[in-house]
Amino acid sequence: MSHFTNKRQNLITFLLLSPGLAGFFGLFFYPMLVTLFRSLRPEGQTSGWTLGNYAAFLSDPDFRRIIWLTFFLAITSTLLSILLSVPLALLLRRKPVGHRLFRLTILVPITVPGLIGALGLLLFWGSRGWFNLLLLQVFRFKAPLTINYTLTGLVIFYVWHYFSYTAITTLSTLEGLDPAFEEAARVAGATPWQVLRYVVIPLIMPGILSGSVLTFMAAFGAFSIPLITGGNYRPLSVAIYKQIGIFIPARWSAASAMAMIMAALQVVFLIFYMRILRRPMA
Amino acid sequence: MTALAKRYWHALINQKKLFVYTFLWSFFLWITSPFLIILLKSVGRNWFGKKWLPPELTLDWYKWALTIANIPQVLSNTLIIAAIAVTISTLLALPTGWALGRRKVPAKEVLTSIILLPRMIPPIAYALGIAQIFYRLHLVDTHLGVALAHVAICAPYAILVLSSTFEGLDERVLEAAAVCGASQLRTFFHVTLPLVLPGILSSIIFTFTTSYNEFTLTLMTYGPHTITLPVRTYLAVGEGYWEVTSALSIILIIPSLFVLFMVQRQVQPEKLVGGFKGV
Repeated sequence: MSHFTNKRQNLITFLLLSPGLAGFFGLFFYPMLVTLFRSLRPEGQTSGWTLGNYAAFLSDPDFRRIIWLTFFLAITSTLLSILLSVPLALLLRRKPVGHRLFRLTILVPITVPGLIGALGLLLFWGSRGWFNLLLLQVFRFKAPLTINYTLTGLVIFYVWHYFSYTAITTLSTLEGLDPAFEEAARVAGATPWQVLRYVVIPLIMPGILSGSVLTFMAAFGAFSIPLITGGNYRPLSVAIYKQIGIFIPARWSAASAMAMIMAALQVVFLIFYMRILRRPMA
Repeated sequence: MTALAKRYWHALINQKKLFVYTFLWSFFLWITSPFLIILLKSVGRNWFGKKWLPPELTLDWYKWALTIANIPQVLSNTLIIAAIAVTISTLLALPTGWALGRRKVPAKEVLTSIILLPRMIPPIAYALGIAQIFYRLHLVDTHLGVALAHVAICAPYAILVLSSTFEGLDERVLEAAAVCGASQLRTFFHVTLPLVLPGILSSIIFTFTTSYNEFTLTLMTYGPHTITLPVRTYLAVGEGYWEVTSALSIILIIPSLFVLFMVQRQVQPEKLVGGFKGV
Protein backbone atom coordinates (compact mmCIF):
# COMPACT_ATOMS: atom_id res chain seq x y z
CA MET A 1 0.00 0.00 0.00
CA SER A 2 2.65 2.49 1.03
CA HIS A 3 4.64 1.49 -2.01
CA PHE A 4 1.61 2.26 -4.13
CA THR A 5 0.98 5.71 -2.55
CA ASN A 6 4.67 6.45 -2.88
CA LYS A 7 4.50 5.78 -6.58
CA ARG A 8 1.40 7.91 -6.86
CA GLN A 9 3.05 10.75 -4.98
CA ASN A 10 6.06 10.56 -7.27
CA LEU A 11 3.79 10.69 -10.30
CA ILE A 12 2.03 13.78 -8.93
CA THR A 13 5.38 15.44 -8.25
CA PHE A 14 6.50 14.66 -11.78
CA LEU A 15 3.27 15.99 -13.27
CA LEU A 16 3.63 19.19 -11.28
CA LEU A 17 7.22 19.59 -12.42
CA SER A 18 6.50 18.85 -16.06
CA PRO A 19 5.30 22.33 -17.20
CA GLY A 20 8.52 23.92 -16.01
CA LEU A 21 10.57 21.11 -17.50
CA ALA A 22 8.67 21.40 -20.80
CA GLY A 23 9.51 25.10 -20.88
CA PHE A 24 13.15 24.34 -20.13
CA PHE A 25 13.50 21.66 -22.79
CA GLY A 26 11.44 23.45 -25.45
CA LEU A 27 12.87 26.92 -25.06
CA PHE A 28 16.38 26.28 -23.82
CA PHE A 29 17.62 22.72 -24.28
CA TYR A 30 16.22 22.11 -27.75
CA PRO A 31 17.37 25.54 -29.06
CA MET A 32 20.83 24.82 -27.66
CA LEU A 33 20.80 21.48 -29.54
CA VAL A 34 19.73 23.26 -32.72
CA THR A 35 22.59 25.71 -32.24
CA LEU A 36 24.99 22.80 -31.67
CA PHE A 37 23.85 20.92 -34.80
CA ARG A 38 23.92 24.07 -36.88
CA SER A 39 27.49 24.70 -35.76
CA LEU A 40 28.43 21.27 -37.16
CA ARG A 41 26.83 21.83 -40.57
CA PRO A 42 28.66 23.35 -43.54
CA GLU A 43 27.63 26.99 -43.95
CA GLY A 44 24.28 27.40 -45.70
CA GLN A 45 23.47 23.68 -45.82
CA THR A 46 21.10 21.54 -43.79
CA SER A 47 22.94 18.24 -44.11
CA GLY A 48 26.48 16.95 -43.77
CA TRP A 49 28.81 17.19 -40.82
CA THR A 50 31.90 19.30 -40.42
CA LEU A 51 34.12 20.80 -37.79
CA GLY A 52 35.08 23.46 -40.32
CA ASN A 53 33.17 26.25 -38.59
CA TYR A 54 35.12 25.76 -35.39
CA ALA A 55 38.39 25.39 -37.31
CA ALA A 56 37.66 28.52 -39.35
CA PHE A 57 36.88 30.54 -36.24
CA LEU A 58 39.81 29.21 -34.21
CA SER A 59 42.29 29.89 -37.00
CA ASP A 60 40.84 33.32 -37.75
CA PRO A 61 43.26 36.08 -36.70
CA ASP A 62 40.20 37.92 -35.35
CA PHE A 63 39.52 35.03 -32.99
CA ARG A 64 42.42 35.84 -30.71
CA ARG A 65 41.48 39.51 -30.68
CA ILE A 66 37.83 38.76 -29.85
CA ILE A 67 38.63 36.26 -27.08
CA TRP A 68 41.34 38.53 -25.66
CA LEU A 69 38.98 41.51 -25.65
CA THR A 70 36.14 39.53 -24.05
CA PHE A 71 38.37 38.23 -21.26
CA PHE A 72 40.12 41.57 -20.81
CA LEU A 73 36.81 43.39 -20.36
CA ALA A 74 35.38 40.76 -18.03
CA ILE A 75 38.52 40.52 -15.86
CA THR A 76 39.30 44.24 -15.54
CA SER A 77 35.68 45.12 -14.82
CA THR A 78 35.50 42.38 -12.18
CA LEU A 79 38.68 43.59 -10.45
CA LEU A 80 37.50 47.20 -10.50
CA SER A 81 34.10 46.11 -9.19
CA ILE A 82 35.80 44.48 -6.20
CA LEU A 83 37.87 47.64 -5.61
CA LEU A 84 34.66 49.65 -5.62
CA SER A 85 32.43 47.24 -3.71
CA VAL A 86 34.63 46.49 -0.69
CA PRO A 87 35.01 50.10 0.52
CA LEU A 88 31.39 50.77 -0.40
CA ALA A 89 30.20 47.82 1.69
CA LEU A 90 32.49 48.75 4.58
CA LEU A 91 31.06 52.27 4.63
CA LEU A 92 27.41 51.31 4.17
CA ARG A 93 27.66 48.77 6.95
CA ARG A 94 28.03 51.61 9.47
CA LYS A 95 24.70 52.96 8.25
CA PRO A 96 25.87 56.51 7.44
CA VAL A 97 23.29 59.25 6.78
CA GLY A 98 21.43 58.38 3.60
CA HIS A 99 22.56 54.74 3.51
CA ARG A 100 19.14 53.65 2.26
CA LEU A 101 19.54 55.88 -0.79
CA PHE A 102 23.00 54.44 -1.51
CA ARG A 103 21.71 50.89 -1.13
CA LEU A 104 18.98 51.65 -3.65
CA THR A 105 21.61 53.17 -5.94
CA ILE A 106 23.51 49.87 -5.99
CA LEU A 107 20.43 48.16 -7.43
CA VAL A 108 19.86 50.70 -10.22
CA PRO A 109 22.22 49.27 -12.88
CA ILE A 110 20.79 45.73 -12.70
CA THR A 111 17.16 46.87 -12.67
CA VAL A 112 17.07 49.29 -15.59
CA PRO A 113 17.47 48.04 -19.16
CA GLY A 114 21.10 47.96 -20.29
CA LEU A 115 20.16 49.98 -23.37
CA ILE A 116 19.18 53.03 -21.34
CA GLY A 117 22.26 52.79 -19.18
CA ALA A 118 24.40 52.62 -22.30
CA LEU A 119 22.72 55.67 -23.82
CA GLY A 120 23.03 57.70 -20.63
CA LEU A 121 26.67 56.74 -20.18
CA LEU A 122 27.47 57.79 -23.76
CA LEU A 123 25.85 61.16 -23.08
CA PHE A 124 27.53 61.60 -19.70
CA TRP A 125 31.05 60.63 -20.76
CA GLY A 126 30.90 62.22 -24.23
CA SER A 127 33.22 65.04 -25.29
CA ARG A 128 30.43 67.52 -24.38
CA GLY A 129 29.06 65.52 -21.47
CA TRP A 130 29.15 66.53 -17.84
CA PHE A 131 32.34 64.62 -17.13
CA ASN A 132 34.32 66.54 -19.70
CA LEU A 133 32.67 69.83 -18.73
CA LEU A 134 33.89 69.15 -15.21
CA LEU A 135 37.41 68.52 -16.47
CA LEU A 136 37.42 71.58 -18.74
CA GLN A 137 35.70 74.13 -16.54
CA VAL A 138 36.52 73.07 -12.99
CA PHE A 139 39.85 71.27 -13.36
CA ARG A 140 41.01 73.50 -16.24
CA PHE A 141 41.88 70.74 -18.68
CA LYS A 142 42.98 72.02 -22.11
CA ALA A 143 41.13 69.42 -24.19
CA PRO A 144 38.33 66.97 -23.47
CA LEU A 145 39.23 63.33 -22.87
CA THR A 146 37.93 60.81 -25.37
CA ILE A 147 36.17 58.08 -23.43
CA ASN A 148 33.28 56.88 -25.57
CA TYR A 149 34.13 54.03 -27.95
CA THR A 150 37.52 53.47 -26.30
CA LEU A 151 38.69 50.51 -24.24
CA THR A 152 38.82 52.65 -21.09
CA GLY A 153 35.27 53.78 -21.72
CA LEU A 154 34.06 50.22 -22.19
CA VAL A 155 35.66 49.18 -18.90
CA ILE A 156 33.99 52.11 -17.09
CA PHE A 157 30.62 51.20 -18.62
CA TYR A 158 31.05 47.51 -17.75
CA VAL A 159 31.87 48.34 -14.12
CA TRP A 160 28.86 50.66 -13.99
CA HIS A 161 26.60 47.89 -15.25
CA TYR A 162 27.89 44.83 -13.49
CA PHE A 163 29.45 45.88 -10.17
CA SER A 164 26.05 45.47 -8.44
CA TYR A 165 26.43 41.70 -8.11
CA THR A 166 29.74 42.07 -6.27
CA ALA A 167 28.50 44.94 -4.12
CA ILE A 168 25.29 43.18 -3.07
CA THR A 169 26.92 39.89 -2.06
CA THR A 170 29.83 41.67 -0.33
CA LEU A 171 27.46 43.88 1.62
CA SER A 172 25.19 41.03 2.67
CA THR A 173 28.15 38.86 3.77
CA LEU A 174 29.62 41.76 5.67
CA GLU A 175 26.35 42.41 7.47
CA GLY A 176 26.15 38.76 8.45
CA LEU A 177 29.59 39.02 10.06
CA ASP A 178 29.72 38.86 13.84
CA PRO A 179 31.26 42.14 15.11
CA ALA A 180 32.79 40.14 17.99
CA PHE A 181 35.64 39.05 15.68
CA GLU A 182 36.68 42.64 15.02
CA GLU A 183 36.19 43.62 18.63
CA ALA A 184 38.48 40.80 19.71
CA ALA A 185 41.15 41.92 17.22
CA ARG A 186 40.81 45.53 18.33
CA VAL A 187 41.05 44.64 22.00
CA ALA A 188 44.17 42.64 21.18
CA GLY A 189 45.67 45.90 19.91
CA ALA A 190 45.26 45.65 16.13
CA THR A 191 45.12 48.90 14.12
CA PRO A 192 42.02 49.50 11.95
CA TRP A 193 44.09 48.54 8.90
CA GLN A 194 45.19 45.29 10.51
CA VAL A 195 41.63 44.46 11.56
CA LEU A 196 40.52 44.99 7.97
CA ARG A 197 43.43 43.14 6.38
CA TYR A 198 43.67 40.12 8.69
CA VAL A 199 40.15 39.73 10.09
CA VAL A 200 37.39 41.30 8.00
CA ILE A 201 38.63 40.71 4.45
CA PRO A 202 39.45 37.00 4.96
CA LEU A 203 36.07 36.44 6.61
CA ILE A 204 34.03 38.07 3.83
CA MET A 205 36.17 36.56 1.06
CA PRO A 206 33.55 33.93 0.09
CA GLY A 207 30.99 36.71 -0.44
CA ILE A 208 33.38 38.84 -2.46
CA LEU A 209 34.35 35.82 -4.56
CA SER A 210 30.85 34.59 -5.35
CA GLY A 211 29.73 38.12 -6.22
CA SER A 212 32.70 38.74 -8.45
CA VAL A 213 32.15 35.49 -10.35
CA LEU A 214 28.61 36.71 -11.01
CA THR A 215 29.99 40.05 -12.20
CA PHE A 216 32.51 38.20 -14.34
CA MET A 217 29.86 36.01 -15.95
CA ALA A 218 27.55 38.94 -16.62
CA ALA A 219 30.42 40.93 -18.12
CA PHE A 220 31.54 37.94 -20.18
CA GLY A 221 28.07 37.55 -21.68
CA ALA A 222 27.42 41.29 -22.05
CA PHE A 223 25.55 42.11 -25.22
CA SER A 224 23.60 45.36 -25.34
CA ILE A 225 26.35 47.46 -23.71
CA PRO A 226 29.15 46.59 -26.15
CA LEU A 227 26.67 46.53 -29.05
CA ILE A 228 25.86 50.21 -28.48
CA THR A 229 28.96 51.60 -26.78
CA GLY A 230 31.64 49.31 -28.20
CA GLY A 231 32.29 51.01 -31.53
CA ASN A 232 35.01 48.92 -33.14
CA TYR A 233 35.49 46.79 -30.04
CA ARG A 234 33.41 43.68 -30.46
CA PRO A 235 33.46 41.10 -27.69
CA LEU A 236 32.22 37.56 -28.34
CA SER A 237 28.46 38.10 -28.05
CA VAL A 238 28.51 41.10 -30.39
CA ALA A 239 30.77 39.21 -32.82
CA ILE A 240 28.19 36.40 -32.86
CA TYR A 241 25.35 38.81 -33.57
CA LYS A 242 27.30 40.53 -36.32
CA GLN A 243 27.64 37.20 -38.16
CA ILE A 244 23.87 37.33 -38.61
CA GLY A 245 23.28 41.06 -38.61
CA ILE A 246 25.93 42.14 -41.11
CA PHE A 247 26.64 39.26 -43.48
CA ILE A 248 24.19 38.53 -46.29
CA PRO A 249 23.33 35.68 -46.38
CA ALA A 250 23.58 35.41 -42.59
CA ARG A 251 26.36 33.12 -41.40
CA TRP A 252 24.30 30.95 -39.05
CA SER A 253 26.80 28.11 -38.80
CA ALA A 254 29.72 30.40 -37.99
CA ALA A 255 27.58 32.24 -35.42
CA SER A 256 26.45 28.94 -33.89
CA ALA A 257 30.03 27.67 -33.57
CA MET A 258 31.03 30.87 -31.78
CA ALA A 259 27.94 30.67 -29.56
CA MET A 260 28.80 27.08 -28.58
CA ILE A 261 32.32 28.11 -27.61
CA MET A 262 30.86 30.94 -25.55
CA ALA A 263 28.29 28.72 -23.84
CA ALA A 264 30.95 26.10 -23.05
CA LEU A 265 33.19 28.72 -21.45
CA GLN A 266 30.24 30.04 -19.45
CA VAL A 267 29.45 26.55 -18.14
CA VAL A 268 33.06 26.26 -16.95
CA PHE A 269 32.69 29.56 -15.04
CA LEU A 270 29.39 28.35 -13.64
CA ILE A 271 30.96 25.17 -12.26
CA PHE A 272 33.69 27.30 -10.74
CA TYR A 273 31.02 29.52 -9.16
CA MET A 274 29.12 26.61 -7.64
CA ARG A 275 32.36 25.29 -6.17
CA ILE A 276 32.97 28.63 -4.46
CA LEU A 277 29.45 28.61 -3.05
CA ARG A 278 29.86 25.09 -1.75
CA ARG A 279 33.16 25.82 -0.05
CA PRO A 280 32.65 26.14 3.71
CA MET A 281 33.20 29.57 5.26
CA ALA A 282 36.89 30.01 6.09
CA MET B 1 49.72 60.37 -7.03
CA THR B 2 50.02 56.99 -5.30
CA ALA B 3 50.79 58.74 -2.01
CA LEU B 4 47.61 60.74 -2.42
CA ALA B 5 45.60 57.63 -3.22
CA LYS B 6 47.11 55.90 -0.18
CA ARG B 7 46.14 58.77 2.10
CA TYR B 8 42.63 58.78 0.70
CA TRP B 9 42.34 55.03 1.21
CA HIS B 10 43.54 55.26 4.80
CA ALA B 11 41.13 58.10 5.50
CA LEU B 12 38.37 55.88 4.16
CA ILE B 13 39.38 52.99 6.41
CA ASN B 14 39.48 55.26 9.42
CA GLN B 15 36.00 56.46 8.47
CA LYS B 16 36.91 60.15 8.22
CA LYS B 17 33.56 61.79 7.66
CA LEU B 18 34.53 64.12 4.82
CA PHE B 19 36.14 61.30 2.82
CA VAL B 20 33.30 58.90 3.52
CA TYR B 21 30.71 61.30 2.16
CA THR B 22 32.84 62.38 -0.79
CA PHE B 23 33.17 58.72 -1.73
CA LEU B 24 29.49 57.89 -1.26
CA TRP B 25 28.17 60.95 -3.08
CA SER B 26 30.54 60.60 -6.02
CA PHE B 27 29.41 56.99 -6.25
CA PHE B 28 25.80 58.17 -6.22
CA LEU B 29 26.45 60.76 -8.94
CA TRP B 30 28.40 58.28 -11.06
CA ILE B 31 25.45 55.90 -11.07
CA THR B 32 22.60 58.39 -11.44
CA SER B 33 23.91 61.22 -13.65
CA PRO B 34 23.44 59.25 -16.87
CA PHE B 35 19.70 59.08 -16.15
CA LEU B 36 19.53 62.76 -15.24
CA ILE B 37 21.25 63.60 -18.52
CA ILE B 38 18.80 61.45 -20.49
CA LEU B 39 15.89 63.19 -18.76
CA LEU B 40 17.31 66.65 -19.53
CA LYS B 41 18.18 65.65 -23.09
CA SER B 42 14.60 64.51 -23.67
CA VAL B 43 13.11 67.87 -22.66
CA GLY B 44 15.91 70.21 -23.82
CA ARG B 45 16.31 72.20 -27.02
CA ASN B 46 19.47 73.68 -28.54
CA TRP B 47 21.69 71.91 -26.03
CA PHE B 48 25.01 72.12 -27.82
CA GLY B 49 28.51 73.14 -26.89
CA LYS B 50 29.80 73.78 -23.43
CA LYS B 51 26.57 74.14 -21.51
CA TRP B 52 25.73 72.28 -18.33
CA LEU B 53 21.98 72.57 -18.82
CA PRO B 54 19.73 72.86 -21.88
CA PRO B 55 18.90 76.54 -22.60
CA GLU B 56 15.26 75.92 -23.59
CA LEU B 57 12.72 73.34 -22.56
CA THR B 58 10.41 71.55 -24.96
CA LEU B 59 8.16 68.52 -25.21
CA ASP B 60 8.73 68.25 -28.98
CA TRP B 61 10.90 65.16 -28.71
CA TYR B 62 8.09 63.27 -27.02
CA LYS B 63 5.75 64.33 -29.84
CA TRP B 64 8.36 63.11 -32.32
CA ALA B 65 8.63 59.86 -30.43
CA LEU B 66 4.85 59.44 -30.62
CA THR B 67 4.59 60.14 -34.34
CA ILE B 68 7.89 59.20 -36.01
CA ALA B 69 8.85 56.31 -33.75
CA ASN B 70 5.19 55.21 -33.74
CA ILE B 71 5.09 54.79 -29.98
CA PRO B 72 1.41 53.80 -29.61
CA GLN B 73 1.95 50.79 -31.90
CA VAL B 74 5.32 49.91 -30.35
CA LEU B 75 4.03 50.23 -26.80
CA SER B 76 1.00 48.07 -27.53
CA ASN B 77 3.30 45.42 -29.08
CA THR B 78 5.47 45.52 -25.97
CA LEU B 79 2.52 45.23 -23.59
CA ILE B 80 0.79 42.44 -25.55
CA ILE B 81 4.03 40.46 -25.70
CA ALA B 82 4.71 41.04 -22.00
CA ALA B 83 1.16 39.98 -21.09
CA ILE B 84 1.47 36.72 -23.06
CA ALA B 85 4.93 36.03 -21.64
CA VAL B 86 3.77 36.68 -18.07
CA THR B 87 0.71 34.44 -18.48
CA ILE B 88 2.65 31.52 -19.93
CA SER B 89 5.52 31.87 -17.44
CA THR B 90 3.17 32.03 -14.46
CA LEU B 91 1.17 29.03 -15.67
CA LEU B 92 4.41 27.04 -16.10
CA ALA B 93 5.82 28.22 -12.80
CA LEU B 94 2.83 27.69 -10.50
CA PRO B 95 2.84 23.86 -10.51
CA THR B 96 6.62 23.57 -10.88
CA GLY B 97 7.26 26.10 -8.13
CA TRP B 98 4.81 24.25 -5.89
CA ALA B 99 6.58 20.93 -6.50
CA LEU B 100 10.03 22.43 -5.89
CA GLY B 101 8.92 24.38 -2.83
CA ARG B 102 6.67 21.90 -1.02
CA ARG B 103 7.13 18.36 -2.31
CA LYS B 104 9.87 15.81 -2.02
CA VAL B 105 11.77 16.05 -5.28
CA PRO B 106 14.79 13.83 -5.89
CA ALA B 107 17.98 15.84 -6.55
CA LYS B 108 16.09 19.09 -5.94
CA GLU B 109 19.18 21.28 -5.90
CA VAL B 110 20.45 19.94 -9.21
CA LEU B 111 17.01 20.30 -10.77
CA THR B 112 16.69 23.90 -9.58
CA SER B 113 20.10 24.74 -11.03
CA ILE B 114 19.16 23.16 -14.34
CA ILE B 115 15.91 25.09 -14.55
CA LEU B 116 17.80 28.30 -13.77
CA LEU B 117 20.46 27.61 -16.41
CA PRO B 118 18.88 29.92 -19.04
CA ARG B 119 19.55 32.82 -16.69
CA MET B 120 23.25 31.99 -16.48
CA ILE B 121 24.06 31.16 -20.11
CA PRO B 122 24.32 34.23 -22.39
CA PRO B 123 20.92 34.49 -24.13
CA ILE B 124 22.55 34.98 -27.53
CA ALA B 125 23.61 31.29 -27.45
CA TYR B 126 20.09 29.87 -27.32
CA ALA B 127 18.53 32.86 -29.07
CA LEU B 128 20.26 31.59 -32.23
CA GLY B 129 18.51 28.22 -31.83
CA ILE B 130 15.17 29.78 -30.96
CA ALA B 131 15.33 32.01 -34.05
CA GLN B 132 15.96 29.02 -36.33
CA ILE B 133 13.17 26.93 -34.76
CA PHE B 134 10.73 29.83 -34.90
CA TYR B 135 11.55 30.54 -38.56
CA ARG B 136 10.51 26.99 -39.34
CA LEU B 137 7.34 27.25 -37.26
CA HIS B 138 6.50 30.70 -38.71
CA LEU B 139 6.55 32.17 -35.21
CA VAL B 140 9.03 34.93 -36.05
CA ASP B 141 7.40 38.37 -36.13
CA THR B 142 4.28 37.21 -34.27
CA HIS B 143 3.36 38.37 -30.78
CA LEU B 144 3.13 34.78 -29.59
CA GLY B 145 6.56 33.94 -31.00
CA VAL B 146 8.39 36.85 -29.39
CA ALA B 147 6.52 36.20 -26.12
CA LEU B 148 7.50 32.50 -26.20
CA ALA B 149 11.13 33.50 -26.67
CA HIS B 150 10.77 35.72 -23.60
CA VAL B 151 9.34 32.81 -21.61
CA ALA B 152 12.74 31.12 -21.93
CA ILE B 153 14.16 33.77 -19.61
CA CYS B 154 11.00 34.76 -17.66
CA ALA B 155 9.91 31.29 -16.54
CA PRO B 156 13.09 30.51 -14.54
CA TYR B 157 12.59 33.80 -12.71
CA ALA B 158 8.95 32.98 -11.93
CA ILE B 159 9.85 29.45 -10.77
CA LEU B 160 12.56 30.84 -8.50
CA VAL B 161 10.26 33.41 -6.86
CA LEU B 162 7.24 31.10 -6.58
CA SER B 163 9.11 28.09 -5.19
CA SER B 164 10.60 30.21 -2.42
CA THR B 165 7.13 31.69 -1.75
CA PHE B 166 5.55 28.25 -1.44
CA GLU B 167 8.47 27.00 0.61
CA GLY B 168 7.86 29.78 3.11
CA LEU B 169 4.24 28.73 3.57
CA ASP B 170 3.83 27.55 7.17
CA GLU B 171 2.38 24.03 7.41
CA ARG B 172 1.05 24.77 10.91
CA VAL B 173 -1.19 27.58 9.69
CA LEU B 174 -2.82 25.25 7.16
CA GLU B 175 -3.22 22.57 9.82
CA ALA B 176 -4.73 25.08 12.21
CA ALA B 177 -7.34 25.96 9.58
CA ALA B 178 -8.15 22.28 9.13
CA VAL B 179 -8.38 21.73 12.89
CA CYS B 180 -10.78 24.66 13.15
CA GLY B 181 -13.02 22.81 10.73
CA ALA B 182 -12.35 24.65 7.49
CA SER B 183 -12.95 22.61 4.36
CA GLN B 184 -10.07 22.21 1.91
CA LEU B 185 -11.65 24.68 -0.47
CA ARG B 186 -12.20 27.19 2.31
CA THR B 187 -8.63 26.74 3.56
CA PHE B 188 -7.36 27.37 0.07
CA PHE B 189 -9.33 30.56 -0.55
CA HIS B 190 -9.16 32.05 2.94
CA VAL B 191 -5.74 30.93 4.17
CA THR B 192 -3.41 29.66 1.45
CA LEU B 193 -4.25 32.13 -1.29
CA PRO B 194 -3.89 35.32 0.81
CA LEU B 195 -0.56 33.98 2.09
CA VAL B 196 0.94 33.28 -1.34
CA LEU B 197 -0.67 36.15 -3.24
CA PRO B 198 2.14 38.66 -2.54
CA GLY B 199 4.66 36.12 -3.87
CA ILE B 200 2.63 35.49 -7.01
CA LEU B 201 2.23 39.24 -7.53
CA SER B 202 5.94 39.90 -7.20
CA SER B 203 6.64 37.01 -9.59
CA ILE B 204 4.25 38.60 -12.10
CA ILE B 205 5.85 42.00 -11.72
CA PHE B 206 9.36 40.57 -12.15
CA THR B 207 8.46 38.56 -15.24
CA PHE B 208 6.61 41.54 -16.67
CA THR B 209 9.64 43.80 -16.29
CA THR B 210 11.96 41.12 -17.63
CA SER B 211 9.84 40.77 -20.74
CA TYR B 212 9.27 44.54 -21.09
CA ASN B 213 13.04 45.14 -20.96
CA GLU B 214 14.17 42.04 -22.89
CA PHE B 215 16.42 42.92 -25.79
CA THR B 216 18.61 40.05 -27.01
CA LEU B 217 15.85 37.49 -27.50
CA THR B 218 13.57 40.08 -29.12
CA LEU B 219 16.32 41.14 -31.49
CA MET B 220 16.53 37.57 -32.80
CA THR B 221 12.77 37.02 -33.22
CA TYR B 222 11.20 40.38 -34.02
CA GLY B 223 9.96 41.67 -37.35
CA PRO B 224 8.32 44.82 -38.68
CA HIS B 225 5.03 43.97 -36.90
CA THR B 226 6.52 43.16 -33.51
CA ILE B 227 8.95 45.99 -32.82
CA THR B 228 9.11 46.42 -29.04
CA LEU B 229 10.21 49.42 -27.03
CA PRO B 230 13.80 48.23 -26.36
CA VAL B 231 14.29 47.34 -30.03
CA ARG B 232 12.83 50.68 -31.11
CA THR B 233 15.19 52.46 -28.73
CA TYR B 234 18.11 50.49 -30.17
CA LEU B 235 17.08 51.36 -33.72
CA ALA B 236 16.76 55.01 -32.70
CA VAL B 237 20.33 54.96 -31.34
CA GLY B 238 21.43 53.79 -34.79
CA GLU B 239 19.45 56.58 -36.46
CA GLY B 240 21.31 59.10 -34.34
CA TYR B 241 18.48 61.25 -32.98
CA TRP B 242 19.74 61.49 -29.44
CA GLU B 243 16.87 63.66 -28.22
CA VAL B 244 14.16 61.33 -29.51
CA THR B 245 16.09 58.31 -28.25
CA SER B 246 16.21 59.94 -24.81
CA ALA B 247 12.46 60.51 -24.86
CA LEU B 248 11.98 56.82 -25.77
CA SER B 249 14.28 55.80 -22.94
CA ILE B 250 12.27 57.76 -20.40
CA ILE B 251 9.11 55.92 -21.49
CA LEU B 252 11.01 52.62 -21.39
CA ILE B 253 12.39 53.12 -17.91
CA ILE B 254 9.13 53.66 -15.98
CA PRO B 255 8.33 50.01 -15.03
CA SER B 256 11.93 49.45 -13.94
CA LEU B 257 11.75 52.33 -11.48
CA PHE B 258 8.56 50.90 -10.04
CA VAL B 259 10.26 47.52 -9.59
CA LEU B 260 13.28 49.18 -8.01
CA PHE B 261 11.19 50.63 -5.22
CA MET B 262 9.29 47.40 -4.75
CA VAL B 263 12.50 45.39 -4.55
CA GLN B 264 13.94 47.70 -1.94
CA ARG B 265 10.84 47.29 0.23
CA GLN B 266 10.06 43.60 -0.04
CA VAL B 267 12.79 41.44 -1.44
CA GLN B 268 16.27 41.04 -0.07
CA PRO B 269 18.49 42.18 -2.92
CA GLU B 270 20.91 39.28 -2.52
CA LYS B 271 18.07 36.96 -3.52
CA LEU B 272 17.85 38.74 -6.85
CA VAL B 273 21.38 38.04 -7.97
CA GLY B 274 22.39 34.64 -9.20
CA GLY B 275 19.36 32.82 -8.00
CA PHE B 276 21.42 29.71 -7.28
CA LYS B 277 20.39 29.63 -3.68
CA GLY B 278 23.48 28.15 -2.17
CA VAL B 279 23.62 25.09 -4.40
